[in-house]
Amino acid sequence: MEENSKLLRAIRLVAQLSVDASSRLLSKMIKAGARISIDRTYMADVSEVTAKIASEVDDVAGAYIDLVGEVPFKFLFFVKVEDSLLLTDMILQRTPGSTKEFNLYAQSAVQEIGNIISSAISNIFSKDFNIALKPTPPTVIRDYAGVVFSEYLLDVAANDNEVFIVETVFNVIEKNIDCYMFLLPSGDKKVLEKQLT
Amino acid sequence: MAKKTILVVDDAPIVRLMIKDIAEYNGYQVIAEGANGNEAVEKYKELKPDIVTLDIIMPQKDGIEALQDILAHDPEARVVMVTAIDQRDSLMKAIRLGATDYIVKPFENERVVSALSNAAK
Repeated sequence: MEENSKLLRAIRLVAQLSVDASSRLLSKMIKAGARISIDRTYMADVSEVTAKIASEVDDVAGAYIDLVGEVPFKFLFFVKVEDSLLLTDMILQRTPGSTKEFNLYAQSAVQEIGNIISSAISNIFSKDFNIALKPTPPTVIRDYAGVVFSEYLLDVAANDNEVFIVETVFNVIEKNIDCYMFLLPSGDKKVLEKQLT
Repeated sequence: MAKKTILVVDDAPIVRLMIKDIAEYNGYQVIAEGANGNEAVEKYKELKPDIVTLDIIMPQKDGIEALQDILAHDPEARVVMVTAIDQRDSLMKAIRLGATDYIVKPFENERVVSALSNAAK
């Protein structure tokens, strides 16, 4: 069910604005070009999407963040662990390969990228839609991609059979690192529609 | 001339390391680090650094509360706030309370140097 409602279009607009802002902030943070594209905005059946993602066995590091407010969202950023090490080196302006394990700094890098992108998103909501959202401190997790994603969907899936998802990929141009971001409305859809459309 | 001393406080280790690297490369001496507002206040009282860099959003005691406590202890304290893009209200509050300067994350090295230089005057 692709882009068939005003709400989906509105969420896609929020995502696009957020992506533009995040792209600039990320490029600044990692001192390299970051190209972000919205892969898909869709409404998915929870069990189908969970089953599909649960088969993903890449070892990833991710950050969960709740955007708390009148129209709450859940945000997830994740990247393959090996790529998180490269991102850490880029942020610290070290030679690629200097970070050899998923240590305190690599965890912190994932946490900070999550922080900065979620701040950009809450800033867009506040500036362009007059909606106040406050990001919670990120929770960093390392596990299989399927486990990370299932955990992310858990609360929303308990209350709803279908979820809106904005799936976004950003690519760090010089290093060809793919990172994944998801934005998921977690509150009442009617309130969300009223506020955004 | 003695190097200006800095206390770096942020709950993110990578941000502390980034600020430390930039500061030390530019001739400052980072004498301690803290991960929350309580550590900021304790270490300020103990070490009396010339400059404090203080993140706003931190666990236990946030940067605004820590700023108030540090300035209550030493009204001449030079504190540079470190903030994310969506924390404008908190930042304005910090400036009204007496913060010397601020840095918005993600930051460029030059901006950190400029804020430290302003605080060192």
